[in-house]
Amino acid sequence: MSDSKYEKMKTPADFEDSISKELIQSYRNIVRSYYEKHLYKSAAFWADKIMCITNDPHDIYWNAQCLYHLKEFQRAANIITSRNLHKTIPQCQYVASKSLFEAKEYHDSLTILDSLEFDYTLAGKSILSDTTKTENTGMECVELHSAILLLKAQVLQANGNRVRASECYREALLTDIRCHEAFDSLVRLQMLTSVEEQELMDRLESQMSSQCSAEEANMLRLLYRGQLKKYDKPRKVPDASPDQSIDHNSTADVRYLESNDSRFQLSKSLDCKAWHSERLYYNCDYHRCLEVTNEILKLDPYHLGCLPVHIGCLVQFNKANDLFQLAHRLVKLYPEEAISWYAVGCYYFVIGKSDPARRYLSKATMIDQLFGPAWLAYGHSFASENEHDQAMAAYFRASQLMKGCHLPLLYVGLESGLTNNTELADKFFTQAREIAPCDPYVLHEMGVTSFLDDDFQNAKKCFESALAQIQESDSRRLEENWEPLFNNLAHVYRKLGKLPEALQLHQQALSLQPLNGSTYAAIGLVQMLMGRLLEAVESFHEALGLKPEDSFSTTMLGYAMDALTIDPVDGAGQPFEGEPAELPASLRCSHQMGSPSEPLMIPQQPTEDLSELSIEYEMQDASSP
Amino acid sequence: MLEELKKLDLREVKKDLIRGYNECLGRGLSETAKWLSELRISLSSIQVNPSEVEAEPAVPAEEIDFYDLARTLLELREYDRCAHFISSSEHPKLVFLRNWAQFLASEKRHIDNMTEASASSQHSPCLQELRDLLSSLNLLINGTGSILGSKSSAQSRDGYLLYLHGIVLKKLKVRQQAVESLVKAINISPLNWGAWLELSQLVTDRCMLSNLKLPNHWIKYFFIGHMYLELQMNEEALEIYMFLKESGFEKCSYLNAQIALAYHNKRDVEIAVEMFRKLLDYDPYRLENMDTYSNLLYVKEMRAELAHLAHSVSEVDKYRAETCVVIGNFYSLRNEHSKAVQSFQRALRLKPNFLSAWTLMGHEFMELKNINAAMKSYRQAIEVNWLDYRAWYGLGQTYEILKMPQFSQYHYKKAQALRPNDSRMLIALGEANEKVEKFKDAMKCYYKARNVGDIERTALLKLAKLHDTMGHKDNAAELYLEYAAESQRMLSIEGNGGMAGGSDRVELARAYKYLANHFLIQGDIEQACMYCNKCLEFEETKEEGKALLRSIAEKRQKEETANMLIDMPVTEESTPADGQTVSIHSAVPVRLQMSGLSSLESPNVSVQSNVATPGPADVTNRSDMSLTDSDDTPMVLSP
Repeated sequence: MSDSKYEKMKTPADFEDSISKELIQSYRNIVRSYYEKHLYKSAAFWADKIMCITNDPHDIYWNAQCLYHLKEFQRAANIITSRNLHKTIPQCQYVASKSLFEAKEYHDSLTILDSLEFDYTLAGKSILSDTTKTENTGMECVELHSAILLLKAQVLQANGNRVRASECYREALLTDIRCHEAFDSLVRLQMLTSVEEQELMDRLESQMSSQCSAEEANMLRLLYRGQLKKYDKPRKVPDASPDQSIDHNSTADVRYLESNDSRFQLSKSLDCKAWHSERLYYNCDYHRCLEVTNEILKLDPYHLGCLPVHIGCLVQFNKANDLFQLAHRLVKLYPEEAISWYAVGCYYFVIGKSDPARRYLSKATMIDQLFGPAWLAYGHSFASENEHDQAMAAYFRASQLMKGCHLPLLYVGLESGLTNNTELADKFFTQAREIAPCDPYVLHEMGVTSFLDDDFQNAKKCFESALAQIQESDSRRLEENWEPLFNNLAHVYRKLGKLPEALQLHQQALSLQPLNGSTYAAIGLVQMLMGRLLEAVESFHEALGLKPEDSFSTTMLGYAMDALTIDPVDGAGQPFEGEPAELPASLRCSHQMGSPSEPLMIPQQPTEDLSELSIEYEMQDASSP
Repeated sequence: MLEELKKLDLREVKKDLIRGYNECLGRGLSETAKWLSELRISLSSIQVNPSEVEAEPAVPAEEIDFYDLARTLLELREYDRCAHFISSSEHPKLVFLRNWAQFLASEKRHIDNMTEASASSQHSPCLQELRDLLSSLNLLINGTGSILGSKSSAQSRDGYLLYLHGIVLKKLKVRQQAVESLVKAINISPLNWGAWLELSQLVTDRCMLSNLKLPNHWIKYFFIGHMYLELQMNEEALEIYMFLKESGFEKCSYLNAQIALAYHNKRDVEIAVEMFRKLLDYDPYRLENMDTYSNLLYVKEMRAELAHLAHSVSEVDKYRAETCVVIGNFYSLRNEHSKAVQSFQRALRLKPNFLSAWTLMGHEFMELKNINAAMKSYRQAIEVNWLDYRAWYGLGQTYEILKMPQFSQYHYKKAQALRPNDSRMLIALGEANEKVEKFKDAMKCYYKARNVGDIERTALLKLAKLHDTMGHKDNAAELYLEYAAESQRMLSIEGNGGMAGGSDRVELARAYKYLANHFLIQGDIEQACMYCNKCLEFEETKEEGKALLRSIAEKRQKEETANMLIDMPVTEESTPADGQTVSIHSAVPVRLQMSGLSSLESPNVSVQSNVATPGPADVTNRSDMSLTDSDDTPMVLSP
């Protein structure tokens, strides 16, 4: 800044006369330059002065911009609205509305947005011409239009009108296919079901052909597809290099494969890796997921996209210590972000202190109403203490926020199932299934409710199709986490009288998840029904060794022992090894007690017990990010 | 199993031993290396050129640095560090070391975290670690990552990795697959004695043993011997061990200890003690099997010896599981049961899978009347080794105390199956069968107990009582007769028999009483009279004896008055001594019954003492006779 300029400023009296157009132009440039250097105060000062001189909408716009960045939102909006510029100039409309949005004046913001339906096809007419740039292309118009739609969506969402918000997001995306924020909002906030997502992709596809080149379209397709639904059904996630994961369902882009190099570079983007990790998480491959998230966080310690998954993994592995450190760092760095408090809440959840866990989780939800994982974890914290009603309330809230995600519905159903309201549970499961028709979790839980309703045929159907889904994905890790399914299917087989199959499935479950008390108890029950009493006794003993207080096993063991002494089945009646064939004639006495059918008289009640146990177990398992 | 004992080629054996030692040491399997080198010193006279021993392929130069570091860290028990530094290596030896270190790390954590109430909860982190380790081993071995897959890879042919796989599977109680893995491991690297030992804990019976597909290797003799010992086939075990001893391992501490164990199992206590003494002379600082030695000393109640042993082992190493067991036994012999329990608990903290400590702790808890704790201990013992008959027996006892006869019967049956020729098991089983009202089975048990050599001499009596309760009066009487005869013989052997077994005397008195009653009912007044007189010998039955005699006298008088002629031959048949007593008693007129008892007491006693001298020999003769006459059923029974 030169002294001469200051000199001239000293005489405010003859301002208009003495200041030439050139000077004003140079000050405009100065404002821009300060603005770009984030020196908003200086920029705002000079912009204000120029605005006073020229009263040009362009200068007013810039002044508003500076004020916006100074977080003086009301002033920024006021500068524009007082001059009614928002009704004529779209850019001004945008800034004013955005400022009010930031000032949380959603209603006013929306009024401004609604006040002008601008026709963007008349490109460049009434849009402020940029003085620094010579071109004012249609491109910019499209971007602006999309931005305004996005803003509208955000305002609507903040107002709680999620349906219209979602529409606006979609419009924004279709107007400008590169508007990733709109896409991200749709996906991250789980606004669309998988069908709707597919529909959107199809519409995008048609937009792509008009909006960009084939090469670009391929890249966009690749990136968007990678981010799409991860929660509807388990898919095979290729390991090795993450680049393969991106095109796992895009088979068409053969041409793109030729430029393999750049694609590989693209896949090294941390976002892509984060999406990959989320898929792994859903496939229950927590080990590999944690590996990937660790890798991401090593490169970018606070990669927000990957943090929820990372925290989920840490919860899964009960790594309280790591969670503690992470939560501390996050709170220190981002005290205003929901994710930080989510991490704190998860830490308390892991160490089993529900009260603080709930406190911090609800803080996270207060900060970001739309943060689904926090709502779910909030629900989990109640569920783990059998507070079904409160858990249901939290899950229900989550289900309203995450329209496109079936998990909250699944949990609501689960909780209603646990309160013995199978009818209600079934309703929720059906809803969940509509969102994710192939999800094995939903199928499994539907099977469980059918089982509880004594509809074994249906239960069998559900469990079997869930099993088919899992086996399709062909992942050992996945199977390990699905051990309850094997057990439950075995329970159904037992109820249907297919004892050998039931036994085999139980044993399979045991080899997937060794040393599980309730599996042993179930095996014992099946063996007992098969009349293999000695084996049954051993199984029950095994079960009691693992769960000493288990009343079911204790009762059943008692029955088995009684049956053993009464009834000589499969050699059990033999008093000892190498017994004499018969007693000497003079000592023989007739001694007959019991009939062979007696051990089959087993009370039905305990079996319910058993299945419930495995449901509970499953419930603990199914914590989600 | 073994068809014949083939002569060992000691030179080959020595070469094998050296090779095995190198392999195991290179993998940090120090226990196995120790065992192998223990065998080697017996063969020290045989010279083998190091070049003759085929060496394993060396670790490649680029990894040797990491390998050496890992080995050292493993030795220093820094397991996690060890695993960390070789986390990405692909060489089989390093892969094994990594997984082995991970396994040891989880075991160490498990032991460190173990608290009193560790009922192995389902979500304990150690269990999770084991499961994860299993998953990664499955991945390495089967390629597909599933247990059931069978894709062969380079790793699936590594015997040591398979050995570890087997251990982990065994820990997780996936027994079938554990056996498969271990057998594979043994077939690939037979010199890994650790694998054989792990396998031995999974073999439940003889049939399973013979169905195992094991390589024909000299080390198999050791395994079979070990197995026979576990399965209580002591004679067969001794045969193998003697053969091995003669083939050149006469100095081997391990072998001698095993032989001593065999004698211990056979209840040849003297020889076993002698063997252990010799072993201690040769190898005074060896602590293995000292727990068994202390058991022997305990059974023999050799207090001084046991105290000496306790002191000397605690000097060698105070914090070894074996030492703690010896000390526990020492306290137990001094009736300081709670201290004994503490010792056993310490032993278990040092070595959670130490079988004898679990069983002995169970016994101590039984002494302390802490039934629940005893039961837990016994259960753990069975968890560790399915073949421990003492634990099964102990469980049977606990259930008996808890008045759960079905359970008690089940457990006794297990114990008996494991040790078929031990009369104690049979008697216990018989009693349990009686309690659940399976009299026929109970009877079978008692007969068998008698046939296998009744250690506690109770089978006969129990049998007699049982027959009595079931209404087989004749059989009962026969058995009582036999019992009485046997007891008389025992009493005469032991001299005056005043000291020997108060309860025995009571039982004998009861037997006489029963016989007296029985013959009275039968109408055999002579016999009845004789046993009545026997009854008078014992304080407990004196009164009843007198009462019986009185009723006999009454009866006789009635008979005499009613039918003089029939009475005649009876008096003729009776021996002179008997005749005397009888005549005296019959001379006692009916009025005596009315008169005060005190007047009756003195003459009767004097009569009794008169009779007693000629009595015993005579009675034994008679009862023997009667037994052989009644086509002697028990003898037919022997299976």
